[in-house]
Amino acid sequence: MPYSAEISRANPSCFIFLIDQSGSMVDPISGSEGKRKCDSVSDAINRLLHNLIIKCARGEGVRNFYEVCVIGYGATVAPAFSGPLAGRDLVPLSEVANSPARVEERIKKVSDGAGGVIEQKVKFPVWFEPVAKGITPMGTAIAMASSLLETWVPKHRGSYPPIVINITDGEATDSGPVPQATVLTNQATDDGNTLLFNCHISSQPVPPIVFPDSDASLPDEFSRTLFSVSSPLPISLRELARSENFTLGASSRGFAFNADLVELIRFLDIGTRASNLR
Amino acid sequence: MLPEVKTFWLPKQGNTAEEYEDAFSFSISARRFGMADGATESSFADIWARRLAESFAQTPPEGTDLDAWLGPLQAEWRSSVPWDRLPWFAEEKAKNGAFSTLLGLELMSAPPPPPAPPPPPKVGFWARLFGVTPQIAPVQVPEGPSWRAVSVGDSCLFQVRGDRLLRAFPNDKAEQFNARPLLLCSNPSWNHTVRHAVKAVQGPREPGDAFLLATDALSHWFLTQHEAGKKPWNVLFELRAESDFESFVSIKRKEGNLKNDDTTLMVVRWQSA
Repeated sequence: MPYSAEISRANPSCFIFLIDQSGSMVDPISGSEGKRKCDSVSDAINRLLHNLIIKCARGEGVRNFYEVCVIGYGATVAPAFSGPLAGRDLVPLSEVANSPARVEERIKKVSDGAGGVIEQKVKFPVWFEPVAKGITPMGTAIAMASSLLETWVPKHRGSYPPIVINITDGEATDSGPVPQATVLTNQATDDGNTLLFNCHISSQPVPPIVFPDSDASLPDEFSRTLFSVSSPLPISLRELARSENFTLGASSRGFAFNADLVELIRFLDIGTRASNLR
Repeated sequence: MLPEVKTFWLPKQGNTAEEYEDAFSFSISARRFGMADGATESSFADIWARRLAESFAQTPPEGTDLDAWLGPLQAEWRSSVPWDRLPWFAEEKAKNGAFSTLLGLELMSAPPPPPAPPPPPKVGFWARLFGVTPQIAPVQVPEGPSWRAVSVGDSCLFQVRGDRLLRAFPNDKAEQFNARPLLLCSNPSWNHTVRHAVKAVQGPREPGDAFLLATDALSHWFLTQHEAGKKPWNVLFELRAESDFESFVSIKRKEGNLKNDDTTLMVVRWQSA
């Protein structure tokens, strides 16, 4: 059965995040009290990397179950890690863990174990900074992911397929995303084709549509286009999403429209919780 | 005559022996046998599993409740973690605590025949366990030789007499392995729901009965085989050396019939009444 390969150090998988850094990302995201879209997205990506590292931490180290890459697209299309990893593309997870640009301290509300909630200082490592400048060369960004995978896939035939997550707030200003997405998702390991998830964030105060199984309720041509290039969810991820109270059909795709920050994090979390992590 | 014990263990394929996170321990003189399966998703689970298995065999819970028994083990676990040299992610992970199953078995002789009075029923841990598990009848000392077992999680005990499986505990169907089991945690904050998931059973035994203790991968294979009308214990009884176990496990993993996981087996036989 496809999408069932065990993810291990011998057979790691990989994540590539494509982040829209166009000028319009300074507008507030829906439902986030005026927080800029670029800030919400960078918080979401940093939190996701943090969660992934904790999940793969064992004893004193982090096991390299994944390689991770963040590509920003706006004024340029380029790897978008800050700090010691600046300029790097696919980085083994243990190296990501050991090389944040900085570590902030934030306040988190946690359970006290007896039904109450207490405030606790937590470390918030930052690898990715908000940027909002330029246009939306989405096709070029997807092509860059594709070119990384052209090298990665032949070396990892037995691995769980790569997952590429694209977060954008607007229409591509180049020829993307359809032709580039087709090339990308045709790259396959023995366990299945590369998965492409798209997340359209927006300033409009309308309820999010997450994991839809048709484009019928999508409001415009651009969101229908993004839906059309989003991968159908494999059974294992469909079951996972259902257990997290998402409503899904049999042909639900990895697509979210107008996700607010909470939905964005839930969406990303499903995308990064592939089964059989050992 | 003393009980005979055979043990076999193998790490998950792709992992080193140092990364093996199951644990087992026994005391022949006390006739107690412990097994634990440290959850691979937590940190320092090997240390936690080892403390649970060893403590059950050496210093079993007695006269106190489960929390009191776990308390010193949790403190030992905390002091064994090298907090000073942990990077931020390892510290955050370790603060969540380590998780593990626990399976404990105790074999008992027949009580002295009348007119000697029966030994007083054990109070404390066992009584408390039975007390918190509503479906289990109150502790009664069986008339003949007997056994007791306690479990948290999905490490399993099988009692085999001749060519029959008499008892499987706590899981008795292969399908029961799908759920994520509740586990004992080295961080007390996570054990509030677990104490209601502690299961305890007892039963009569006959001299020569075999008791097999196994962690989940092998237990699942065992029950699947049994449900298909086979007698999976026979092949396990034939194992002599570690190398026999290694080739058995390796073949079953290749066939896809045994989950690639740390795999542990203990076979206990006591000829005495």
